[in-house]
Amino acid sequence: MTFVLEAEGLGKRYGRHEALADCNLQIPEGRVVGLVGPNGAGKSTFLGLACGLIQPSEGTIKVLGHHPAAGTDQLARVGFVAQDTPVYANLTVAEHLRLGAELNPRWDQKLAERQVRQLNLKPDHKAGRLSGGQRAQLALTIAAAKRPELLIFDEPVAALDPLARRGFLQNLMEFVAELEASVILSSHLLGDLERICDHVVVLGDGRLQVAGEADDLVAEHYRLVGAQGDFEDLPQDIEIIQAAHTDRQTTLIVRSTGPIPHHFTEATHLDLEDIILAYMSRSAYASVTGTAQQFLEARQ
Amino acid sequence: MIWLTWRQFRVQALTAAVALVGLAGYLIYLGMQIRDAYDKDIVGCKTSGDCEGATQLFLSDYELQVFLASVLLISVPALIGLFWGAPLITRELEGGTHRLVWNQSVSRTRWLVVKLSFIALASVIVVGVFSLLLTWAASPYDLVQGERFGAMGFMSRNITPLAYAVFAFVLAVTMGLLIRRTLPAMVVALAVVAAFQVITSFGIRPHLQEPSTATVALEADTEFKAIRDENSKMQIKGYNISGAWMLDSTHTMLEADNKPFTVAQYEKECFNGDMDKVKACLATKNLHLDVAYQPANRYWRFQWIEFAGYLALSGLLVAFCIARIRRPLF
Repeated sequence: MTFVLEAEGLGKRYGRHEALADCNLQIPEGRVVGLVGPNGAGKSTFLGLACGLIQPSEGTIKVLGHHPAAGTDQLARVGFVAQDTPVYANLTVAEHLRLGAELNPRWDQKLAERQVRQLNLKPDHKAGRLSGGQRAQLALTIAAAKRPELLIFDEPVAALDPLARRGFLQNLMEFVAELEASVILSSHLLGDLERICDHVVVLGDGRLQVAGEADDLVAEHYRLVGAQGDFEDLPQDIEIIQAAHTDRQTTLIVRSTGPIPHHFTEATHLDLEDIILAYMSRSAYASVTGTAQQFLEARQ
Repeated sequence: MIWLTWRQFRVQALTAAVALVGLAGYLIYLGMQIRDAYDKDIVGCKTSGDCEGATQLFLSDYELQVFLASVLLISVPALIGLFWGAPLITRELEGGTHRLVWNQSVSRTRWLVVKLSFIALASVIVVGVFSLLLTWAASPYDLVQGERFGAMGFMSRNITPLAYAVFAFVLAVTMGLLIRRTLPAMVVALAVVAAFQVITSFGIRPHLQEPSTATVALEADTEFKAIRDENSKMQIKGYNISGAWMLDSTHTMLEADNKPFTVAQYEKECFNGDMDKVKACLATKNLHLDVAYQPANRYWRFQWIEFAGYLALSGLLVAFCIARIRRPLF
């Protein structure tokens, strides 16, 4: 199996601040990967490491089997659209396409021009005058017309209105189909990700919380509801992700690769969004109080 | 990459070109004027008889203009550093566009090398044309003035300004790479370039080669500007060897046994209101001066040494920048 991205013990420190720590991850080829996490979870750091703009403090990261930005070949294989979709404000749309053509040997001018036409971008328009949505589309076009094997996007839709967001994602998916590229996309808009991603990586507090195929994650996670004493005999190989208690009942979100014991008749599957939220709140919670940890320890 | 470099640089290039054309017009006009005046007043002084007066008048007529043009030429490399060098990388970092351009299929190293070469070449052309024209325009003035080694004149004629331009540009780029913000990079680059020029002029250039020394007998017709005393020793001020660079502006009068001629001796033996009589008196005392100087024929060697030295420094800075930008900046 080949991986678009492999990280081993990957970490990045800025002074004393650990932006990312101890990240071990393998992402298979051909996926649309959603990188999720709250602000400050380390998403941008992770993507910066993946495209070679950031130097790891520890561990290694390989993208498409090589070190990020290791050479022009590697640069040609990865398309990156950074946060806030930077473009040159005083260059026109056409000049951005020229830039792409000049700097990329595999540049697909037809694809780029078709895209610009479809988006109704005027070629002689200065990029600084474009709306946020148009700018994101332009950045996407430049990245896609490189014909990369992997497209990486850092919060491409965060600043867009819902309509522009839908247009952007639609476009993105069309490119993915046309280029047969893998995609890694960070966002905190879970609804969008749930629609387009088939692989999910959740970061929280600078650490990897969970990663896997969307279908597998949905299949492996359950919500268990019962009275407080009911979960004393929960098998050890069932991992508790989140626990909520009221006077009358306890609700657990658990991960289990095997079947759930049959007497938990109330076990229901969750949708991807709820699973992601459970991991995100676990990391947020754990970093503040360590409660989830306490609950886990109490079981043993 | 060359297209992008040109596209991002063309406004600056155009600005520089316009300024250069204006400057060229002025320098050509100045050069013609100086030539006219030189032919009329200096060459013609032999018929009128008052060559000293004509020389003084000629020098004072053009002193200010030549001075200002020289100052401008010396500051152009610094300006190039400020406005072309410092923002080269910082502008990308501050606008976030480095994340766009460094993710195209061109390595950061190549991006930097193309930009550095292209703009360094532009700097050399701008400063080269300026220096060529000023050197030409001021050459009669420089000839009459005879101070080619003067700090101002040496730095603003012939080939040294070209190397300063490359150095100032590359240094400012380096500061931008290290500091990563435009304004601080500008300030630091300006300070460092100025410091280098001052240190070179006053600390290094006088010692580029072991100075020549000579023992000059003080005769009645020895030319100097004034006599003065310091620490009870008598000194000559403004003794000059034609075209050479005198490393000291004052020289102590020495007796045959190398003992300084003292103020007491002077007041007793030669003190007089009339300068000619003083000179005649001093000439009878068998006095001499020990002078150290860089001879006129070293001018071009010094120009080349400084040119090569600054280019070598620039090369080191470029090597550093390349080594640094190969690794991710963050």
